[in-house]
Amino acid sequence: MTDLPIVGFVGLSTALLAVGLFGILTRRNFILILIAIEIAMNATILNFVYFGAFSGGAGGLSGQAIAVVLIGFAATEVAVGLAIVLALNRLKGTINVAQATDLKL
Amino acid sequence: MALSFVVVGLAGTRMRRLEWGGWVAVAFSAAAMVVGVLIGIGEMVNPGTYTDVRYTWLHLAPAPGAFPNGFSLVVGTLVDPISALMLIVVTVVGFLVMLYSIGYMHQDRGLPRYYAELSLFLAAMSGLVLADNLLEFFVFWELVGVCSYFLIGFYYEKPSAASAAKEAFIVTRVGDIMFLLGIFLFFYNYATVGPVGSGGWAANGFLFTNGNAPYLGAALGTGNQTLLTVAGIMILGGAAGKSAQFPLHVWLPDAMEGPTTVSALIHAATMVAAGVYLLAVTSLFLGFTSTDQLAIVAIGGFTAFFAATMAVVHPDIKRVIAYSTISQLGYMVMAVGAGFAMVGLFHLFTHAFFKALLFLAAGSVIHAVGTQDLFKMGGLKKTMRLTAAAFAIGGLALAGIPPFAGFWSKDDILSAVYSQLGTHPDYWPFFLLAFVAVFLTAYYIFRAWFLAFSGDHPRDPTLPHAHEGPWVMRVPLVVLSALAVGAGLLIFVPGFQSLLLSGNGAAGIPPMYGTTDLLLSSASVALGAGGIALAWVLWGNGRVFVLSESSAAQPVRRLLLDRYYFKVGYDWVGAKGVYTVARAADFFDRFVIDGTVHGFERAFAYGSDRLRRIQSGVVSDYAAYVVAGLIALFVLLLIVAPYLVAKIGGG
Repeated sequence: MTDLPIVGFVGLSTALLAVGLFGILTRRNFILILIAIEIAMNATILNFVYFGAFSGGAGGLSGQAIAVVLIGFAATEVAVGLAIVLALNRLKGTINVAQATDLKL
Repeated sequence: MALSFVVVGLAGTRMRRLEWGGWVAVAFSAAAMVVGVLIGIGEMVNPGTYTDVRYTWLHLAPAPGAFPNGFSLVVGTLVDPISALMLIVVTVVGFLVMLYSIGYMHQDRGLPRYYAELSLFLAAMSGLVLADNLLEFFVFWELVGVCSYFLIGFYYEKPSAASAAKEAFIVTRVGDIMFLLGIFLFFYNYATVGPVGSGGWAANGFLFTNGNAPYLGAALGTGNQTLLTVAGIMILGGAAGKSAQFPLHVWLPDAMEGPTTVSALIHAATMVAAGVYLLAVTSLFLGFTSTDQLAIVAIGGFTAFFAATMAVVHPDIKRVIAYSTISQLGYMVMAVGAGFAMVGLFHLFTHAFFKALLFLAAGSVIHAVGTQDLFKMGGLKKTMRLTAAAFAIGGLALAGIPPFAGFWSKDDILSAVYSQLGTHPDYWPFFLLAFVAVFLTAYYIFRAWFLAFSGDHPRDPTLPHAHEGPWVMRVPLVVLSALAVGAGLLIFVPGFQSLLLSGNGAAGIPPMYGTTDLLLSSASVALGAGGIALAWVLWGNGRVFVLSESSAAQPVRRLLLDRYYFKVGYDWVGAKGVYTVARAADFFDRFVIDGTVHGFERAFAYGSDRLRRIQSGVVSDYAAYVVAGLIALFVLLLIVAPYLVAKIGGG
């Protein structure tokens, strides 16, 4: 694995992050935004995996461990996000975030 | 020793806002009295001991320049001869006045307020007496000042009471500022002075003592003498404000607008004595230069005479006693100035009892007849035998007739000052003034007595039928009468005597007793008796002495009634001088400071009006701002910062 350049891996996760950010910024559908957030988050998790593997040894294992924990976090986050989607749908009858502007004064 | 903490602790928790708070306050002040008297007796058994419990509250590390030795703020309690003496006065009179209040104040509204404020006052006064350093002293000094303000203005719906409260506060504030300046100057001078290796007196928190003796010890009085003199004058100014000495005396007569009980406790026995106490503490622990001493003697002697003259003509029973208080405080100040701090405090001790007695007796009269005008009273001795007797005892003590308390202490002062005349001939005029004031004192207090009590019937027939108050009012009168007779004789009790002697240790000269200077004593007693006799001739038996309109003395009378125009003068200064300054300050405030503030306000209002438009409420927009911010941060960190670092060439 060490023969592969780290730039490639980091490039992959950067690309994933860009895709996710693009989704977050352009989509109006709450569920699509959630999916985009998941993509961006996976970029982060991938980083942990790469750098763990590159550093090797005990530090390497801890990188994999954090990745597993983060996957758990991502799951809870999606659960909360979907709950918000349901609540929003019940409240507004839509899940279009452009119409949920109650934060505005 | 922990007991004194109990005093302070109890006093603090005494503030119960309950309907029966009066009795709670009485109970707690009784407990405080027991503790206070026990401490006093303890100090008499072991005279000259210094018991100091203290904690460093805040310590500043040494800083070159400002605090070469660092600086500590200390909180502690100190029991030494002088504080033990004061503690007895404060707690005993405090308890008796609390008890008396139950009867005197029973029909007033706002009683919880009254008892809470009175309790707070007692707590603050105990703290002041027990403070072991000058800064802590100052804190309690201000606390008693504010309690005095509250209590003078107790009848705040009365405009005269409200303005008297303000007057008292503002006038004493002048003194307080001077006191604070005095502390600063002493700090400046003594910041590096102290026992070797201990890092200086002021740096160690302005302590009065290092455990068994005054802290400064051999270093006392070293440093810039001019600076020390100015500092001493500033301390004198603070004391003059609190003790209503000339020229800051104007507030005390007006302070009589408060309840009579308050006048007895605060404006006769304890708080106004704090100024004398401050001078005594300062003279024992810091020392005064000889110029300061002359100034103190001058102020004291002059005030003793000056205030007595005003008491001679006043028609209001409480104000007569108030002027008398100012005059007696003048005696104490004079004694401290002459170097006999303990003699002054001894007079403070006896004065507290007989003056509280006079006030409470006057309060009893006011309670019964509902007026303070002496010319409406008369013949009250028939219906108020106890009060008449109590007032007479207080009057005899004040006039300095043996064996009543005032004789011993006032004579001590006169003979103490007399003993200094050889080395300080410039004390002469003030000694003579104080001596003449003995005559005036006897005259005015018995004028008041004859006007109120002698004769057949009240001069104003519309007065209600007078009667004695309930037992809670009579008991304090009896106890204080006993003290007014006996407190002076305490000087023959060995323990008390050594308490006074040990307290004056730093001055190195023992106080003298009236018996040592027989001629002087007899002269002052003769003057006192003469004053009483004159009062009887003019006012006795219901007579009223009316000065004819054409009399040459008429302008003098008017001058005295108008208080030498001091109040008018101060009002004029206040109205013209201060108002002009205030107008200028107001202009500056409105146009420069407010202008700046409003300018900022307008800029922000405009800016925020613009900014709020970007708040769309749409989540995606916010997310976009976050990303934009992130990108800006990256640009800053990765491109701009390295560029700047390369440009400046830093590490």
